[in-house]
Amino acid sequence: MKLNLDIVKKLLKAVKATRDDEISCGECYEQIEQFAEIELTGKSAAEAMPLVEDHLNRCNDCREEYEALLEGLKKLGDPDKNII
Amino acid sequence: MLNWFKKKKSEIKPPFTNEQWVELLSDPVNERAVDELRRLLIQGLKPALYKYVDRELDQFVKDVAQDGTLKILDNIETFRGESKFMTWAMKIAVREGLTELRRKRWDDISIEDLKGGPGDEKDHEVYSDTFASSDPSPEQTTAQKMAIEKIEKMIDELLTERQQTAMKALLIHNLSTTVVAEMLGTNRNNLYKLLHDARKKLKNELEVQGIDPDDLLREISES
Repeated sequence: MKLNLDIVKKLLKAVKATRDDEISCGECYEQIEQFAEIELTGKSAAEAMPLVEDHLNRCNDCREEYEALLEGLKKLGDPDKNII
Repeated sequence: MLNWFKKKKSEIKPPFTNEQWVELLSDPVNERAVDELRRLLIQGLKPALYKYVDRELDQFVKDVAQDGTLKILDNIETFRGESKFMTWAMKIAVREGLTELRRKRWDDISIEDLKGGPGDEKDHEVYSDTFASSDPSPEQTTAQKMAIEKIEKMIDELLTERQQTAMKALLIHNLSTTVVAEMLGTNRNNLYKLLHDARKKLKNELEVQGIDPDDLLREISES
């Protein structure tokens, strides 16, 4: 596989941060609603559920879904607030 | 007795508790509850998805809310009550919407399209956005080329073809994991495990060779 410098740097950072206890996308998905609710109470979800936070830092798709979920829940929590 | 129960179920009004949601959306499904679910999903999906949609948002959100509602009804028995029901439901609907968008975005790409990388047409030419303002020294260029070759060799020797394809798709072509998983005929969960295993192999090999990733990064980044 042919690489370039930027990709090697990205890969080295990902490899360096690899840990045995990482959770998968499925495990993250199972817990993400709790993670979101903790975050919305103003507490640190990253501290309460560090493995979920770790996964969200690695997985763009899960991170995207989490951020979209937060936006949706904020609207449901305050339906009079005009977000858009 | 049964008639009394049915009448009581139909009299339940929103906002619903978790238990009421599950009761109303389990067979026989209460249509008013379904309408309420759909209404709330639409309300939440608009802010959730608007920045990803480049066409008519309202219709897209309605479609996603409908698909999401069906998925929620199909999976109602899996709700464990560890969060609010609407949080769980919104999670499902958001995934439906983003998955649809990802598929559309990468509709015309296939596994064959991934047979190409940034260095294929220029044999081991070092390319980087970080060189915008200064040229690397000859020593730096050599170090970078050696680092690239070292990592390429590790990948070629240690990773399976499937792992290499997945890695190329995500790292080089920046595809979504949803799309790559479908291209490989698997799911995101298995894809993540495949790549986790790949990263562990590379991490292990770096350790075996006595290479600290931080040192290597520093070496190839210094100008």
